[in-house]
Amino acid sequence: MKGRVIAFCCEHSAYPAADLAGRLRLHYSESLRIIRVPCAGRVDVIHMLKAFEKGARAVLVLGCEDGACHHITGNTRARERVEQCQVLLDEARLDGRSVAMHNISPNAPQKFVRIADELVNAKEQSREAI
Amino acid sequence: MDTKIAVFLCNCGGAIKNIDFEATRERISKIPGVTSVDLSSGLCFEEGKREMVSRIREEHPDRVVVAGCAPEFSECVFQQVLETAGLSGRSFSAANIREQCSWVHDGDVTGKAVELVKMAVSRVRLLRTLEKKELPVSREVLVVGGGFSAIGTALRLSRIGLPVTIAAVEEVLGATQDGVESFYRCDIDTMKSAVEGDRNIEVLTPARVTSAHGEAGDFAVTIEREGERIRRKYGAIVLATGFTTELSPVSVKGLPVVGGAGSPANIVSQEQLFRMLDNGATARKPETIAFLLDSCDENSRFPTLATLNNAIAARVKWGSEVYVFCKDVKVDSEGAEKLYREARGCGVVFVKCDSAPRLAIDDGRISIEARDVFLGADTIVDCDLLVAEEVLCPPEGTEALADMFNIRLDSRGFYQDENVHLYPVGFEKRGVFCVGGCRGDLEASRMANDIHSVAMMIYGLLSSGVIEAEIERVKADTQKCVACLTCIRVCPHSAIRLSRVDNGKEIAVISDVACDACGICAAICPAKAIVFEGYRDDQVLAQIEAIGES
Repeated sequence: MKGRVIAFCCEHSAYPAADLAGRLRLHYSESLRIIRVPCAGRVDVIHMLKAFEKGARAVLVLGCEDGACHHITGNTRARERVEQCQVLLDEARLDGRSVAMHNISPNAPQKFVRIADELVNAKEQSREAI
Repeated sequence: MDTKIAVFLCNCGGAIKNIDFEATRERISKIPGVTSVDLSSGLCFEEGKREMVSRIREEHPDRVVVAGCAPEFSECVFQQVLETAGLSGRSFSAANIREQCSWVHDGDVTGKAVELVKMAVSRVRLLRTLEKKELPVSREVLVVGGGFSAIGTALRLSRIGLPVTIAAVEEVLGATQDGVESFYRCDIDTMKSAVEGDRNIEVLTPARVTSAHGEAGDFAVTIEREGERIRRKYGAIVLATGFTTELSPVSVKGLPVVGGAGSPANIVSQEQLFRMLDNGATARKPETIAFLLDSCDENSRFPTLATLNNAIAARVKWGSEVYVFCKDVKVDSEGAEKLYREARGCGVVFVKCDSAPRLAIDDGRISIEARDVFLGADTIVDCDLLVAEEVLCPPEGTEALADMFNIRLDSRGFYQDENVHLYPVGFEKRGVFCVGGCRGDLEASRMANDIHSVAMMIYGLLSSGVIEAEIERVKADTQKCVACLTCIRVCPHSAIRLSRVDNGKEIAVISDVACDACGICAAICPAKAIVFEGYRDDQVLAQIEAIGES
């Protein structure tokens, strides 16, 4: 799965946002793969690292907006875990910026597409630079 | 024996155009374990569903994958189909090839569609079915509070056939609203007599809830009444503790002066003014009255209504000159715009000022000085009576109740509802609800809405006498759990407690009823002891491994 971007999407916010993007016929990179989770807080470091082990270019964790998490603290826990993963990647001399956490609300398909595109483009540019 | 997986592909009546379904079918049928792949062009129609049931009965698959629209829609529809066909709804997984594949890309996306189906297949292979159980619940409801919202809720619940207990700290019901019903725009006497005649409602006054534990359908509550302890079981709890008002201190020449009883000047609260207007026994009618509004508290929905009503009444009844010093008049509540126009029409003067007015007290008269934003000049008004701005506060005991039921408080100390738009009267703790003033700034019309929605939610929860729950959807492994309490600390729904299991070991036990299946505990558990069926580590990892396999 070389070059894929894996997005863990909370089923209360980012996943409906992605669906809405589809309904509005917005376009994003074909390399994005979405995995549905019940809350961003479910995503563990092992899940993110597994994606990199399998050759993913980047990993996104998308949860509810701050203060609007369906499960109250899920998004903040997810952020902690993403930061933990970034440290691990840096220690392994991989780019810690390849994993990112974003907050999104279910009615923000444009934001979803922007986040996805920004990450995909950033990674493409950094690859070209190497 | 290998798991047999049936895959149903649906082109949504031709809405999915850029996927080659024949090629997809061919490539999917090569996946080990997939025993049948069916094409359809309208799986969610009655005809499609019937066909799906008959195909499942023919093929006897263990698991089913549907590739088509978003699981938001497909999940509940096809889980029902599976149950009709004799499979568990838990043997289902959806591949979202419409919203997240066909519609977001131009050109042929067959490759991506195949990948998405592969992800779903590798997840569905690992799914386990769960046993569903009907757990008996208590149909009794406890309403905490003795005001308008509490009585209203109790009456409504009793009307839909649920036994209710009201526990209020007041000596009698409705004591706080006595004599000022029309100020709060509620007819409390009729409601009180309705409660007295209702055999479904038991009233405990003055009573205080001292401890509570348990979960939706089974709360064990201790209520203390005059030294006597009453222990009861309730299915649901409604908090209707209302609010109190405090006069915000006004500053006179730099010194704060608090109005109300025994205040040095003629500074009164809205309620005091209302009583003065109501009994008409004032020795001398005040010639000039000034109101302060919206200068220190932004949440001024209720104070705005009170100000407008009182200003009009004072103008009409006493013929006084009335000035309202305010930053803004907020007219978003029902009927407020009309009241504001009426007030303007009858001669109430609104002075818009950016900063708080300066006050001076001289021989019983209060002089107010403020900079009028529109005139750009200072306005000075001498008045006989000043109605201070009121701030809404949570009543005493709110914090204790919040602790008891594990509810968060907002920045002002009121109960924080789960989601202002979706679940305005619910909490993250299932089975506990709040209505009325204890949610913060609220007036009578919104309170009525609250009462209806609470009654509906409680009816849905308790009316059948049982709650259907999936048993051990989230479960801690007896061997791995070391009772480190991390999960108990992080659970947002307070669904986990420590419990002794058969061999005497203490482990975390997750309540099937209270759990909302977020999986935070499963991710945070340092011993990886918590297993969350449907999103187990291996189920998530299998999906990742399936990506890009082709």
